[in-house]
Amino acid sequence: MKEKTLLKGNIAIAKAALNCGCSCYFGYPITPQTEIGEYLSFEMQKNNLAYVCAESEIGAINMALGAASVGAKVMTSSSSCAVSLMQETLSYACSDELPIVLVNVMRAGPGQGYIFPSQGDYNQTTIGGGNGDYHIISLSPSSVQECVDMTYKAFYLAQKYKNPTILLVDGLLGQTAEPCILFDNPYKEIDNSSWALTGAKNRPSRKIHSLEPSQNKLNKHILNLKNKYDLIEKNETDYEKYMCDDAEIILTAFGSLARAVKAVVNSFREKGLKAGLFRPKTLYPFPYDALKKIASQAKAIIDIEMNLGQMLRDVKLGVLSDSKVYFIGKPTGNWLKKEEIIDSVENILKENYANI
Amino acid sequence: MIKNFIISGSGGQGILSIGTVLANIFMLNDLFVSYCPCYGAEMRGGAVNCEINMSNEELLSLQNEKADYVIALNQTSLDKFINKVKKNGTIIVNSSLAKIEKTRNDIKYIFAPLTQEALKLGNIKIANSIALGILSKITDNFSIEKVKKAYEKILKNKTELIQKNIEAYLFGYNYLQERIQ
Repeated sequence: MKEKTLLKGNIAIAKAALNCGCSCYFGYPITPQTEIGEYLSFEMQKNNLAYVCAESEIGAINMALGAASVGAKVMTSSSSCAVSLMQETLSYACSDELPIVLVNVMRAGPGQGYIFPSQGDYNQTTIGGGNGDYHIISLSPSSVQECVDMTYKAFYLAQKYKNPTILLVDGLLGQTAEPCILFDNPYKEIDNSSWALTGAKNRPSRKIHSLEPSQNKLNKHILNLKNKYDLIEKNETDYEKYMCDDAEIILTAFGSLARAVKAVVNSFREKGLKAGLFRPKTLYPFPYDALKKIASQAKAIIDIEMNLGQMLRDVKLGVLSDSKVYFIGKPTGNWLKKEEIIDSVENILKENYANI
Repeated sequence: MIKNFIISGSGGQGILSIGTVLANIFMLNDLFVSYCPCYGAEMRGGAVNCEINMSNEELLSLQNEKADYVIALNQTSLDKFINKVKKNGTIIVNSSLAKIEKTRNDIKYIFAPLTQEALKLGNIKIANSIALGILSKITDNFSIEKVKKAYEKILKNKTELIQKNIEAYLFGYNYLQERIQ
């Protein structure tokens, strides 16, 4: 058993990336994720790995695209407004089928916003701002330990499905230190020798590009991508359910805010109210089916976020009825406290359910 | 059992250092802990504070409105955090850099001239560790081995500095007892 270490979310992510063989990092500093690049700038140089502080985020993500095409395990990290700059290349990487790990440690938006913590990039991550039929696998950690676990998983899924993967981290979690265990990467290595551009000596040449002037071929390519996304949705959907089995009130939340919501559930249970927490660990693919099953027997579903209701759309799609779905949230700043959430939930119940 | 701590002062006073030492002490005692720093754009002289939460079961709230224990190493942080102390909570104030004045009667005050005491011990930088010693005395009895180990984790191989900080910590730990006698 490896020993526990007190690590900030940002540093835990950087360490885990090195542990699972990240050989290239490109990035441009931005609060609240700068420690990732700072830490890697020392460690990657020591280990003779590629580290480039790019001239911009557009540069960073395109360097990542290039490195991924030659088969390198590559990561870039940034925050909200700067991840906006990367959208074009993410769409390209999906079409090119290139594994890129992008860590987004969220700050407040829209526009430049400020460094306050927020969960405002749910839509940017799960829907995206690129063009075409594409999806990006997105993982949402709720603790520093999960930052480690999910960094490993992000690299694995990116390589396995040859698709960009986003680790969507709350600014609060990037900056908070918690004890965690840096265990060894549990995932197997994925062989990329069949597609990586490694020089065509003794083999036919290969090309990776998204341009396809033939209508038939382009249709076929997009349908192939769709098959891949279907497979991802079937195999990789992940969630946590807490006290949901007999719950009358389901609270939904993602990221570190879900922990405060868990405390709310405990508190309601002590008072005899049957509450439960449903937390998606993968935001894409979203666990619609699991939520639908749980929600069918619940009287109310209350979505709680540090934004103005971005996951709410997916929650409603899962529940398939918005008559019993409610929302609690605020855009940015100090995380919603347990007491605030309890008050808001009680108000919703009082207004809508006389008998709970 | 959940306990919340705020350590505050100005940049350069070692606020974040003893914050991480305290968090490591909790971790080494197999408790759940979170540590969150907060500082302005300026590194030296600006306001700095950190929040540490400790629990013997899974820690669910990373940010809390109020704290059971607050350390304020200067007047600004005393003013800023005095209302963040929970009812019946405790505030440790560095009276070398803050007025001895009780504005609340529902909390416990500990005033100690930490900067002066640190200077007497030979290093102005270890006022923070004296405060940590006082805090340890009134919260939990941690084995000194684990405290040492926590300092070693932060200060790595700076043996002399570790020793000086442990000395300050122990001075703080015994400070109240000596004053009461």
